Amino acid sequence: MANVKELHVNGSHRVLNSDPERSLLSVLRDDLDLTGSKYGCGEGRCGACTVLLDGQAVRSCSTLVGSVGNKPIETIEGLAKDGKLHPLQEAFLEADALQCGYCTCGMIMSACSLLKRDPHPSREDIVRAMNGNICRCGVYPRILSAIERVTRARKGDGQ
Amino acid sequence: MATSWPKKRRLIGTKIQRLDGPVKATGKAKYSYDINRPGMLHAVLLRCPHAHAKIKSLDAADAEKMPGVKAIYAIKKAGEELYWAGEEILGLAADTEEHALDAVRAVKIEYEVLPHIVKEEDALKEDRKTVSPVGGKRDNVLAAKDAADDAFDKGMTDAAVKVEGSYGVPVVCHQCLESHGLVAEWGEDGGLTVWASTQAVWGTAVELARYFAGKYKIDLPAEKVKCITHYMGGGFGSKFGPDIQGLVAAELARTAKAPVKLMLDRASEIVAGGNRPSAYGKVRIGATKDGKITAYEVDCYGTPGVGVTDTVTFNALPYVYPIAYKRKHTRIRTNAAMQRAMRAPNHPQNCTLTEFILDDLAAKLGMDPLQLRLKNLPQNDAEKAKIAPHSLDALKNTIYTREIEIAAALSKWKEKWHPPGKTDGVVKHGIGMALHTWGGQASPQSNECTVTIHADGSVVARTSTQDLGTGQRTVTALVTAEILGLEPGQITLEFGESTFGASTGSGGSTTIPSQSPATLRAATAARDDLFAKVAPKLDAKPEDLIVGVEGKILDKAKNKPWTWKEICARLDKEQAKGTGFWNYGESIKPDNRDVSSSGVGGVQIAEVLVDTETGVVRCTRIVAVQDCGMVVNPLTCESQVAGGVIMGLNYALFEERIMDRATGRMVNPDMEFYKLGGIEDMPQIVVHLHDMPERGVIGVGEPPVISTHAAIGNAIFNAIGARVGQTPFTPERVLAALAAKGGKR
Repeated sequence: MANVKELHVNGSHRVLNSDPERSLLSVLRDDLDLTGSKYGCGEGRCGACTVLLDGQAVRSCSTLVGSVGNKPIETIEGLAKDGKLHPLQEAFLEADALQCGYCTCGMIMSACSLLKRDPHPSREDIVRAMNGNICRCGVYPRILSAIERVTRARKGDGQ
Repeated sequence: MATSWPKKRRLIGTKIQRLDGPVKATGKAKYSYDINRPGMLHAVLLRCPHAHAKIKSLDAADAEKMPGVKAIYAIKKAGEELYWAGEEILGLAADTEEHALDAVRAVKIEYEVLPHIVKEEDALKEDRKTVSPVGGKRDNVLAAKDAADDAFDKGMTDAAVKVEGSYGVPVVCHQCLESHGLVAEWGEDGGLTVWASTQAVWGTAVELARYFAGKYKIDLPAEKVKCITHYMGGGFGSKFGPDIQGLVAAELARTAKAPVKLMLDRASEIVAGGNRPSAYGKVRIGATKDGKITAYEVDCYGTPGVGVTDTVTFNALPYVYPIAYKRKHTRIRTNAAMQRAMRAPNHPQNCTLTEFILDDLAAKLGMDPLQLRLKNLPQNDAEKAKIAPHSLDALKNTIYTREIEIAAALSKWKEKWHPPGKTDGVVKHGIGMALHTWGGQASPQSNECTVTIHADGSVVARTSTQDLGTGQRTVTALVTAEILGLEPGQITLEFGESTFGASTGSGGSTTIPSQSPATLRAATAARDDLFAKVAPKLDAKPEDLIVGVEGKILDKAKNKPWTWKEICARLDKEQAKGTGFWNYGESIKPDNRDVSSSGVGGVQIAEVLVDTETGVVRCTRIVAVQDCGMVVNPLTCESQVAGGVIMGLNYALFEERIMDRATGRMVNPDMEFYKLGGIEDMPQIVVHLHDMPERGVIGVGEPPVISTHAAIGNAIFNAIGARVGQTPFTPERVLAALAAKGGKR
């Protein structure tokens, strides 16, 4: 299989030259210096590496870069627009839904994927969608409350 | 001048958002794992696959010729013994991680496999002497420690009611989400810089300097070795000092003359990155018919792996409650990685060996276990009150009683508690409680902080201490802002670099009680320096200048307010500066006991639903009442307490390192079979901070983790009327306890 020469990341075309069998995570972090996506377990079990591929949350540690093609990739670095934080990022700060912060970007990307497919998830929907993301510091209740802040605000806006 | 917190506090005690939140939530925060340096190499470690072996031969010649390999560093050589599966043998650095992984497989190594013991009970059956010699002996089972109180025999003889039981907690692993490791780079000036995932920024630099200066007889003063830890992804007691990967990465970087990154993969992180020792014990307790406990006996053992340390806090058994005791503890050395400090080291073990039997006793007495606890709490101590009137030592009875009352009210204990096992249905509800204690004083060595005020009004607070996610950065800004009349966001923080002054490792919940008073002193001195320098230019006396309201500085003689910028502008080409330090010695001076102190209690009450057909336990609610002296930032403090509770819930329901008797290896070194709870497993958590500002600042990182598993264990007992004595409370163990109890469900 030919080397991967280009990726579509956060709205821009990024030129690179990578063995297609490397993980998407390693390419994002080491070739493109997008280190917001973290290595946690390397086996798709912790969610620290979560990015959006074609709008869907995927574990970039267990996604081969050769399988990505020209699908758009969104990472945490692309979430804030024009210096303005995404509502999920704002909500995480307000709820103090982070401690060491190592799982945080993956958490936010998983939540982002959920809200893209369902703007008004129930608590059960949120729990189901977020369950694969592990936090060792123990901020889960605040993550739930942060996501609910965003969904409540959306309802308030009539969205 | 005496150090003291302001009487009227504007910011301290209010909820301040984490100042490093935005960089963490946008992915901009650079953790050690995220550091990529020009020309950087990637290193991996070769680990021993056997639990005990001797290296017959080691040949790295082929590996050296593999593509991209730049340096090899042998940790062990032929003839040396290895004592646990995972022990480090050799480090190798190559241009890419893939090349490093390929090359390390080309190292030729022959082992003579030797006998091992990885399970405590196997060592007790037969001591095979499989560990490294200590004092010339290879004993797996070390001589037991024992001690007894003079009143024990009479206490046990006189007891009208006696209960005994077996309880235990296994080895669990730290499982930091950011694994252990660092990037090491030697500069052209011969200095060394490391970006390390550590809980001890300053200590890591000092240790590296000492190691390399000694080993290579080079001139390497401490200031030429720099450790940088701006952000780090969890430590929990497992990340002090450079560690073996720190030394190896720096050695490889020295040989290759290039920066080297060495971060552990997940399996290595679990096996080698730290574990908490086990503790299993037989406990016997005696009491009068009305529930006054007269004697407590424990015979316990546990393994620190290849280490030699106690796995309980021997002198604190029984835990919390003062009871005439007889105690025995045996350390069992096994062929597994050495234990490391883990969040309140040995206290969860002590809590296990004390709190479970209290509920078993209460059941036999037909008593409410909450009442049993109230009846057996330690008394207040008038002598200790003379030294520190508000301390836990002086007020144990008052503080614990109040915390139990608060926890009982928040959990509706009176309505919800029922005699053990006395509910109908397949899914049974239970409620249980447990108590804990911790120190949390300032560290013995000094922590420093420097606050600098510039003529443009900007303020920099600088300290080498680390923020593990505890919120220490925010607290430093908060305290500085409080003293200068500013907002926390106006303070620029320079944090987590060893060249920023002395600091101690974040262990023992010592960071906030060490660092906050140092910051208080630094900010106060900077303010006084500012006023002394600008007063002549304002035609004022320094002593007339005070921090007023709304960020104004008031000349009280003329009743004239100045803005902060106007005041600072008068510095012109100067700076105002203050430094402060704090340590344990400062904290115990009579005038300083309300600045920082030591000693906390805590009470947790858990509720569970136990499915008696499947054995599945679901924890539905936990109330955690915690004191920690003066609460500086309730937002991050509550996060710490809830985080401790969640780690404790993981101990209770999921965590266990499982060793394979035949191979001597850990069978679950991954995140699938070493389970950590997810959001789905979370109960409702209610945190109540029992604020006692008169006691000054006390650390809170560790205590909330201690009693959660015991409260959950007691709730399970309350639900099913049978004791599941060992964590994790898996369906298998719950069903076994139900089967042993027999009879009708």
